[in-house]
Amino acid sequence: MIAVLALLAGVVLGLWLDPTVPAALQPYLPIAVVAALDAVFGGVRAKLDRIFDDKQFVVSFISNVLVAALIVYLGDQLGVGGQLSTGVVVVLGVRIFGNVAAIRRHMFRA
Amino acid sequence: MSERTGDDSGEGRRGPRTFTPDFLTELFRNPLDPGYGDAALRRARTGQPARPGWSVSPVSVVVIVLLGFLCAVAYRQTTAEEPGRAQARSGLVAQIKQRQADTDAMSDRAEVLREEVNRQRQAALGGSQATRLRNLEASTGLGRVRGDGVVVRLADGPAGQGSLSGANVGPAEVLYSDLQGVANDLWGAGAEAISINGQRLTSTSTIRNAAKAILVDFRPVTGPYEVSAIGPGSMRKRYEASRSALTMRKVAQDTGLSFEVRDADDLTLPAAPEPQLRYAEPAVSPSASPSGGDESSGSGTSPSPSGGGR
Repeated sequence: MIAVLALLAGVVLGLWLDPTVPAALQPYLPIAVVAALDAVFGGVRAKLDRIFDDKQFVVSFISNVLVAALIVYLGDQLGVGGQLSTGVVVVLGVRIFGNVAAIRRHMFRA
Repeated sequence: MSERTGDDSGEGRRGPRTFTPDFLTELFRNPLDPGYGDAALRRARTGQPARPGWSVSPVSVVVIVLLGFLCAVAYRQTTAEEPGRAQARSGLVAQIKQRQADTDAMSDRAEVLREEVNRQRQAALGGSQATRLRNLEASTGLGRVRGDGVVVRLADGPAGQGSLSGANVGPAEVLYSDLQGVANDLWGAGAEAISINGQRLTSTSTIRNAAKAILVDFRPVTGPYEVSAIGPGSMRKRYEASRSALTMRKVAQDTGLSFEVRDADDLTLPAAPEPQLRYAEPAVSPSASPSGGDESSGSGTSPSPSGGGR
């Protein structure tokens, strides 16, 4: 319950403050969101599995976002453009799918 | 199931080396971070109870707030970019349409003004002078002309036809030099006005090729090529005896491209676009190279459309 409220608070804060993202950081934003979603779905699943751990959640969130940004940056510097970030999106997407499937099994027993 | 996966990954990483399947298989089979399993195992060992229900620690709350913030910012960013792109695109489309309308309006206006100029000139000049001016315009290609003459039609042969004969006869395609020869020999046969596919030739016209395209006065023309010429009645006979006609007949026989000359009555040839006349100017300083001055155009008495002599 607290988690949902916190999420809503974050969304409201983001819409209310409406910060301008520097142009240099703009390419990192979408992939950071995907990485963060992966951490969140992993956390929700762990919660349902009753093995949730706060430290693990926080560390995985931050490291996911940072590593995703690093990979996008590396792809830019190496000249492979968006292909490296495509790989990141595929891997994170697979993980999100798997975790959502586990959550679904928990909730609907199907 | 959860316990089992937790044990597997937890023990598998700690215990003796086990050969896990490759990364992708592992990813598909067990998408959960192994860290959760490890943490649960650690807690079970120390006897620390898991947090009950849905409560989370303050650190996690902060992270979740951060996550909502991130999502909101990303959403804002995406929606803010979209109208910009769409605006730029629709702006360009509107600009193109606007310019096209402008061009149409201006060419209409040019047409009207040209008629007006012609009428005024007719009124201002005496009858004989106006006639002389009209004749000059007709012969230089600046005025529309009507009359009888001949039409020379050249078309590319079917593809691959030429190579079948085995002889070294060249491609069954109309080359720019063919058009040059036809035009030059038509002038030589007494033509007074010539146009190629509706492009009037003047004394400064060029027939050249750029890659695969043939350009007449820098505008591309495509086959079949119709070279229309207005001239005296004897022009057809004289042209048929000319070098380019004989050459093209032979080429047509050998390669399969089509070449025909026919009489045509009441041809109408359009006016050429206003030519850009260049004038020679005396060199200012004696040290200046005499070749620096522009060559004067339009002074030739026998117009040559070839452009090859430049």
